[in-house]
Amino acid sequence: MNDLQIHSKITLMEIDVLQALHQRTLDKYTAGPSIDRSRLFFLLLPFFDGQKWTEEVEDAAKTVAIVYAALHAHDQVNEESPISKSQQLTVLAGDFYSGIYYQMLSNSNNIKLIQMLASGIIGVSEKKASLYEKKTISLAGIENAAEVIETSLLRIFYDYYGFSQYAVIAEPAMEYVYYSRQLDYLHAGLETNILRKLNLALPLPLYSERWLLDKLDSLHLKLTKALDAYPMDFQLKNFMLHQITPHQHLAEQLTREG
Amino acid sequence: MEKVKLKLLYSDLGPELDKIEKELEVAVGSNSLLLNEASLHLLQAGGKRIRPVFVLLAGKFGNYNVDVMKQVAVPLELIHMASLVHDDVIDDSEMRRGQATVKAQWNNSVAMYTGDFILARALEYITVVEDPKIHRILAKTMIEVCRGEIIQIEDKFKLDQSLRDYLRRIKRKTALLISSSCELGATVSGTDAQTAARLRRFGYFIGMSFQITDDILDFTSTDEELGKPAGSDFVQGNITLPVLFARRNPEIYSKLKNALGKEMSDSERMEIVRLIRNSPALQEAKALSDQYLDKALEELAHLPKGPANKTMRKIALFIGKRKF
Repeated sequence: MNDLQIHSKITLMEIDVLQALHQRTLDKYTAGPSIDRSRLFFLLLPFFDGQKWTEEVEDAAKTVAIVYAALHAHDQVNEESPISKSQQLTVLAGDFYSGIYYQMLSNSNNIKLIQMLASGIIGVSEKKASLYEKKTISLAGIENAAEVIETSLLRIFYDYYGFSQYAVIAEPAMEYVYYSRQLDYLHAGLETNILRKLNLALPLPLYSERWLLDKLDSLHLKLTKALDAYPMDFQLKNFMLHQITPHQHLAEQLTREG
Repeated sequence: MEKVKLKLLYSDLGPELDKIEKELEVAVGSNSLLLNEASLHLLQAGGKRIRPVFVLLAGKFGNYNVDVMKQVAVPLELIHMASLVHDDVIDDSEMRRGQATVKAQWNNSVAMYTGDFILARALEYITVVEDPKIHRILAKTMIEVCRGEIIQIEDKFKLDQSLRDYLRRIKRKTALLISSSCELGATVSGTDAQTAARLRRFGYFIGMSFQITDDILDFTSTDEELGKPAGSDFVQGNITLPVLFARRNPEIYSKLKNALGKEMSDSERMEIVRLIRNSPALQEAKALSDQYLDKALEELAHLPKGPANKTMRKIALFIGKRKF
């Protein structure tokens, strides 16, 4: 499977998800559902790798993407009040998307997956809330929160359909994407919960950038090792390494930045 | 006081409601200290628990078993609670049921995650029910309730909306969840399809009457009774039934139009309230609410007689007469 075919499949899924979540007012006044293409890639990874892929599995993959869109919508709501009309609708967008995922799985009688995803959402919400607790979180606690928030729902999907073997590849990759975004925020001078907690957990806030760069290095190494150990189409591996997690080693970055 | 009176109407359900309350407490338990605190804070603020009440009462028309009924009653209340936490963010509400809201006590983000957590707990809880019909009814209800709220935001400050717009909005916003509580209670207890449909319609009519009464009370009650300034709905741009009736008078229409969406002082707000109070709009709105109430009672008249029917009738009549 070449890059173009992979991109096409991801785009088709993206369109399906957007269609399922279409709502005139929400589309007009909010940023719309956030469908992360790297996440879609990992939801589709068993398909790309030639696993048995039925309509039910594809629909379930779409619902997982919808759950992420629902939770992401609520991440976009400003911490402080009052909020604008667009933000008010963003609150409702998250709830609406949750209703859609529940309806899709109900219509296909997939009650077990509803239960598993609901349990997953509980875990994700708990970790997101933990970042608002007043106490300082250890670095291990921060790493664990990021891992749960980014990968637990994907893991549920893999485990449910017998694709658990892909978790060892998808988890470091999704975490890589997550930390890489945090690094971008840091460079842009934006503050996120994770960055706030990271600043508190490290001896000096200035160490955050270094910590993130180290983390990206170690995650990339983990991913590379996992890919080396797994027999998979070269083009697929290549796509992952160059398009999902394009990595620049810490040493290279430091040299470039002088 | 009114809440106490309402609760007295269904005091027969006391032990069963205590069971539901305990289940709710367990259900909102969390590994996160913050979510635990926020959810319990919300739960302990109380509430009428009208949705579980309707589930239980509807269940009495079938093979009633409280341990089966709670599988639906608990998640319905949780879904309602989750929507309240998110609504407080939308409406920027500081207080609810005499307590600081989650968003006021912590912040909007914590309120978002608390709502997501409680909603997920509701879905996790209800999945012990295997009947896909139950899930389809609930999923459809959740989506329609959201659509109702979305339309409410879209219709804000639109004085020229139609009566149909209003009715469709309150159907989704309020009536559907009560209607579904009745239908789900009936379905889970295995009543026949006709009884379930009658109970669903009963819940719908009661829900419509309840919301219209709420909208009337926004103009007739005092600030103290409401726990918020009278006329707040209008100030926030929500065009309710009394306003729709009152605007037919061209003079009132132009005053409403001028005031809508502008920063209003307390005296300007009270001027609008007086305008509505002195118009025939409130009686007309009350008449429509009564029509829905009559329809609800008509549905009950066709259902088997018994204690549950009697209690539902009492609740219906109370809703029609409540003062705040």
